[in-house]
Amino acid sequence: MTTHTDPPDDARVHGDDEHLPCGRPLSRVWDDWERRTEDPHRTGCPHCRRAVRELDELETAVRGLREEFPGTDAYDAGPLTRRVMDLVRLELRPGRPLPLGEPAEDLWIMEAVAARALREAAETVDGVRAGSCRLAPADGPDTGAVELRLDIHAPAGAGLPELAERVRRRVRETADRHLGMVIAAVDIRVTDLVDAPAGDQEGRTA
Amino acid sequence: MAGARTPTAPPDVGGVTDDALLTVRAAEGDEDAFAVLVQRHAPALIRLATRLLGTPAEAEDAVQEAFLSAWRRLPEFQGRASFGTWMYRIVTNRCLNVLRARRPVAPLEAAGEVPAAEHTTSPERLAESRDAVRELREALDRLSAEQRTCWVLRELDGRSYEFIADAVGLSQEAVRARVFRARRCLTRALGAWR
Repeated sequence: MTTHTDPPDDARVHGDDEHLPCGRPLSRVWDDWERRTEDPHRTGCPHCRRAVRELDELETAVRGLREEFPGTDAYDAGPLTRRVMDLVRLELRPGRPLPLGEPAEDLWIMEAVAARALREAAETVDGVRAGSCRLAPADGPDTGAVELRLDIHAPAGAGLPELAERVRRRVRETADRHLGMVIAAVDIRVTDLVDAPAGDQEGRTA
Repeated sequence: MAGARTPTAPPDVGGVTDDALLTVRAAEGDEDAFAVLVQRHAPALIRLATRLLGTPAEAEDAVQEAFLSAWRRLPEFQGRASFGTWMYRIVTNRCLNVLRARRPVAPLEAAGEVPAAEHTTSPERLAESRDAVRELREALDRLSAEQRTCWVLRELDGRSYEFIADAVGLSQEAVRARVFRARRCLTRALGAWR
């Protein structure tokens, strides 16, 4: 990283401030003007008035410049997103391999892939949003099983033990039927309680 | 939540999963979650980078690099700031480096890429204000990288001194000093033009 240009910072805010012929520091005149501070001197002093007028003219040009930048609505993020994701896919972080099926099968799935499927499973429970999903081989020699810790946002007002049980059931079903993964334990942490969006009730019900 | 305090925050695309959850997922290697974040935050970041650099093409490059850098750094992202604020900082610093490398003054034709806005005023006023804006754009190219960055965040993006200080890693006093110097250079440039 190169550095250049500005003089080193020091305690003086406007170290290279200039004083107007009336003795006022230019920085103060502008600050006061910006803060709309009442100042009888400013109204009467030709030097201060001139300084303020110059700042005002700059502001007019700045407004013109602001209008030249298109709004965010006009920007189509699709092409940029595709370019970014093409690069991201060259640098994936798939996590560790986890065992699938019987210990003798020598079949594995990457943690990030399994986590995505299990988060989706958790979110089939109404109002649940899944965050962190960490998987690790269960303790013990060659169990072939996996332990899972899942963070969720739960709908406010839901009975949490019952909700957690429903989430566990969905996660285990998906692990078993769709992945062929043996789940030894599912730890669930509720990291937030959220108001359920209005449209959510009719959605994917339990 | 991301960018709730930021005037350039885009509307919540889809509005289904909030940034905090998507950020955690992306940190754990879920590239689909990251793609949603990119899509959601790109418009505001492109606008920021275009304001800082002056040309849409350079802005696209800077934002693309910033997202790639974010993907690499996500596992260490502690979530103390929102994803939007974190990206704002990354993009600002990338643009700052582009500006630092861009010496001496940028070619004038580059500034011409920004389309002129339509005004409904008299032809004389229109011509005059266009000249002032053109002069302002050229004068911006003569500021130091730090002055330009602090001034743009303050005057074009409407940020507080506190926010800018945090984004560029300077003290608030240093940011104030740079905005002041930038204003002085710019008022002089406009004065000379008149």
